Amino acid sequence: MEKILDLYLLFMNNTGFFMADSRYIIMIIIGLIFIYLGIAKQYEPLLLVPIGFGILMGNIPVFKGLGLAIYEDNSVLHYLYFGVRAGIYPPLIFLGIGAMTDFSTLLARPVLMLLGAAAQMGIFLTFLGALAMGFEPKEAASIGIIGGADGPTAIFLTAKLAPYLIGPIAVAAYSYMALVPVIQPPIMKLLTTRKERLIRMEEPRTVSKREKIIFPIVAFLLCCFLAPAALPLLGLLFFGNLLKECVVTERLAQAARTAIIDSVTILLGITVGASTQADYFLTFNSVKIFVMGALAFGVATASGVIFAKIMNLFLKTKINPLLGAAGVSAVPDSARVVQHVGQQEDPTNFLLMHAMAPNVAGVIGSAIGAGILWSFLVH
Amino acid sequence: MTGIEAITAHNGWAISVVGVTIVFTGLTTLALIIAQLHKVLDLWDQRSQLWQNFKNRTATQTAPTYEINLNQDINEAARQFKMVVDRLGQPFALPKLLEFAENCGLYRPCSTLNILLQEKMITPDGKGYYLWTTDKESEA
Repeated sequence: MEKILDLYLLFMNNTGFFMADSRYIIMIIIGLIFIYLGIAKQYEPLLLVPIGFGILMGNIPVFKGLGLAIYEDNSVLHYLYFGVRAGIYPPLIFLGIGAMTDFSTLLARPVLMLLGAAAQMGIFLTFLGALAMGFEPKEAASIGIIGGADGPTAIFLTAKLAPYLIGPIAVAAYSYMALVPVIQPPIMKLLTTRKERLIRMEEPRTVSKREKIIFPIVAFLLCCFLAPAALPLLGLLFFGNLLKECVVTERLAQAARTAIIDSVTILLGITVGASTQADYFLTFNSVKIFVMGALAFGVATASGVIFAKIMNLFLKTKINPLLGAAGVSAVPDSARVVQHVGQQEDPTNFLLMHAMAPNVAGVIGSAIGAGILWSFLVH
Repeated sequence: MTGIEAITAHNGWAISVVGVTIVFTGLTTLALIIAQLHKVLDLWDQRSQLWQNFKNRTATQTAPTYEINLNQDINEAARQFKMVVDRLGQPFALPKLLEFAENCGLYRPCSTLNILLQEKMITPDGKGYYLWTTDKESEA
């Protein structure tokens, strides 16, 4: 009888109920909030639901040594997490993004590409802010890249420079990407007048198929000769786009934009979520990262809008400065926000198609930015 | 170490300025190149015409006569449709070809298909399907 009771006691001591403390409960609540936002509010559900469930998985208190937790060498989650730590998943996601992206609007009005460059100011200003707050340069660069508003890029760079920060940086990046419809509109309205928000864009010219086929090759060669460290991200982004545009590889493009990107998103979401284990995640540094992340998004949005206004000083045909906000690369959410804010002023003004140009330029710009920071700070 | 002192000590100003400059340089150069891309492609399409004009001008020193080559567009469209047909296999159903062309994002697939039919590049096989006529393609 005593042995049976001992076994019961031993079992009870190893349950999550016994081992849990307030930190685990806080993280589980955060995970539930992510799942709620994804399902009920439909904020980036494809990312927030896997990450939210990953947070739940990572914060079940487990007995150390059984090989269950993500930071234990022989656990299943640890093997899956290898794709994040080694920077494998982000380029595969870029492959899928490339196979989904239509660069027509960018090819029709290349000048809008500058808005995608301007919004990357957020990366470098946040980098300076993080340095000023006492972070080491590699950590500061990883925090700064949140301003690129590109989850895979943020994970890729953090995995290379400060892998121990992947959890908070990935969660901050994806949280703010999901909150783009909340963060951006006040900044956009604050920096523009009603008259500016009413500006209509010219119809873009028709882009030929040959241009679309040549573009990914030219863009890849140019960007990667300029910033070779962006090769893994931009290489697969443009390769995915070439598969889509060249017609003859439709089967491969179809695989890239469906099976591959979906599988990798699941693995990335779950493992990034699980990496937020309470004892690693709930630190004062994580709070600082979240603050800097919010600042990064705000600065990136403001930089894009202000640069669009500066461009209007020189352009004969004015552009709607709201498009600048789409320079942050949260594709396609920030473009949708531009459309929404524009239509609040004039329901017949359709900006979505035009906003996609700086939006996809932002993806290229943030990958170049990540490559630059990586090459400067890797040693 | 925090504040401005930390930024200076870690070379933050220089990294940021160079970083922003490189991002702007990269995207500006790309924008400039793709802004010219369609013009370069147009020139490439008219290369034989331009070469002919150049030869005429140097040979006779007379005012050049320009001939607008309307076949360039249809040639390009035919090349793209041929790639789609190769994937479908011969003979093929016209609606299927149209659907594939639309999915592949070919320019104005309906009107292009109509032109290809008129030019007899695509001909009926008498059993409800269609065939790609190679001779006509090379003629065009």
